[in-house]
Amino acid sequence: MRDKTAAVLPRSEADLPGLSARSSVPLGRVALLALAVATLALLPFAVTGYVLYIANLLLVFVVLCLGLHLVIGESGQFALAHAAFYGIGIYTSGLAGNAFGWPFPLSMLLAGLVAGAVGVVIGAVALRMRDIYLALATFAFGEAMQWVFLNWDQVTGGPNGLRISPARLGAFEILSDRQAYPVVVVMTVLMLLLTILISRSRLGRSFRAVRESEVAAMAMGIPVRRAKITAFGLSAFFAGVAGSMFATFSTYIHPDSLGFQTTILVLTMIVVGGLGSIAGAVGGAIVFGLISEFLRQTPSYQEIIYGLILIGFMMYAPRGLFAFIRDKVGGGTRG
Amino acid sequence: MPDLLELTGVSASYGRIQALSEVSLRVPEGRVVALLGSNGAGKTTTLNTISRLVPVTSGSIRFDGKPIESWASHQVVEGGVVQVPEGREVFQDMSVCENLEMGAYRRKDAAAIRADFERVLNYFPKLRERLQQRAGTLSGGEQQMLLLGRALMARPRLLLLDEPSLGLSPVLVQQIFGIIDRLNKDGLTILLVEQNAAVALTCSSYAYILENGEMALQGASDQLRRDDSVRRTYLGH
Repeated sequence: MRDKTAAVLPRSEADLPGLSARSSVPLGRVALLALAVATLALLPFAVTGYVLYIANLLLVFVVLCLGLHLVIGESGQFALAHAAFYGIGIYTSGLAGNAFGWPFPLSMLLAGLVAGAVGVVIGAVALRMRDIYLALATFAFGEAMQWVFLNWDQVTGGPNGLRISPARLGAFEILSDRQAYPVVVVMTVLMLLLTILISRSRLGRSFRAVRESEVAAMAMGIPVRRAKITAFGLSAFFAGVAGSMFATFSTYIHPDSLGFQTTILVLTMIVVGGLGSIAGAVGGAIVFGLISEFLRQTPSYQEIIYGLILIGFMMYAPRGLFAFIRDKVGGGTRG
Repeated sequence: MPDLLELTGVSASYGRIQALSEVSLRVPEGRVVALLGSNGAGKTTTLNTISRLVPVTSGSIRFDGKPIESWASHQVVEGGVVQVPEGREVFQDMSVCENLEMGAYRRKDAAAIRADFERVLNYFPKLRERLQQRAGTLSGGEQQMLLLGRALMARPRLLLLDEPSLGLSPVLVQQIFGIIDRLNKDGLTILLVEQNAAVALTCSSYAYILENGEMALQGASDQLRRDDSVRRTYLGH
């Protein structure tokens, strides 16, 4: 998929003589990456099972954010049915394990593919609309899916929820958060790499072109509709995989946690991190995931605080927390 | 000169509203042909039917002898027909360099793309200075140059230009049309849509005038420039 033009034209400032070489940035990035790797690797030895549960959950949210980033951040399509695809992923992998005893890597793949396929179908219909209409249509689909989860008793267990049997691979069974953690970390890294790959590919460039100007994208010969549907399908695939990751360490799922609130939570995360940036999606998931975990103590204020955070960011830091800090601390603005 | 583009009896509509009826025009290879008319006359719709963004209800469009009225829009671009849309449709958040890259989206010939990149920067030296700058921060004139440059990156045989003078100062209009002239001298065929009839009739060899979706008048540009009714209606003197 990787095209040749990217390599042909000067990409970075380093390729162009006479422009400032900001050597400190890559160094900072390497340090940050090293820190992240060390934290992820050492965490299981340092903390309790509960903290690992939180870590697993945060990583699931990272993958959810990466998916929403692809369709909203990268392609500019306001799709608000993420929790539905997440739910499809959870139920698909849960049922594949429960009913057929599938090994978890297989049920993960299945979860992603089923969610992705549903995403493509919904996308093909919804993406005829744009802006607020698209948002409303996908919102309606999300609500409809939650209703299905709640009422399709034979399959989803309906309002009783679904017990998810332990994920297995041959004789190996995942019985604790500690055992699930390495699987969740590996999947998160894989999905992160996939996101970066997509973003840098010709496909990623067509997504951004569609976001910036559909007219211009069409004039450049980009099949706009196909690009949108692809973005939507990929986003749903990511949500489905995130759902299957959740199913590896969770023993139970209830439709209540698969509604609009969850979609808004993920949306808030990528806005907090900075719309349109992969680092923002990852950082937003972790920072805001931690915040919402602390807010769990005060459930009645939770929604209000989310709302305030969302409004605050849109007003004062529309490019997200990290760009805000960079501007304040570094004093430098990106062109 | 053989015709590079030929529209015969092309009609198009948006829902129930007829936007074009029985429009015929020809663009000979190597020429600049102007398509004039007031707001809402169907100029942009004509370009959009050629680019396959608006479906044709009847009639035929031939490019280089081949019927293209059933092609998809990206096939048209690959075939060498590239539209420069009206109004500053640059990719605002991308750098100038990335914008130019997007122009070559459908091409795979890396070496030729690199060569075209240099060629475009030679046409527009200003863009070279601003390669890493966000396109949205360019001035109006620079954005228009970027639009032209981006279209050239697609290596067009026929350029469909939609109102390149829109919103530009007279000096910049001069500059843009100077470049259009140069592009044409270098062999590019151009179909030019303009409201600024005076400028368009100067730089084109032949012109068509659309009124309410129908072809009202056509002729050699220098003749139309002297035509009384054209002068009164479109040149304002």
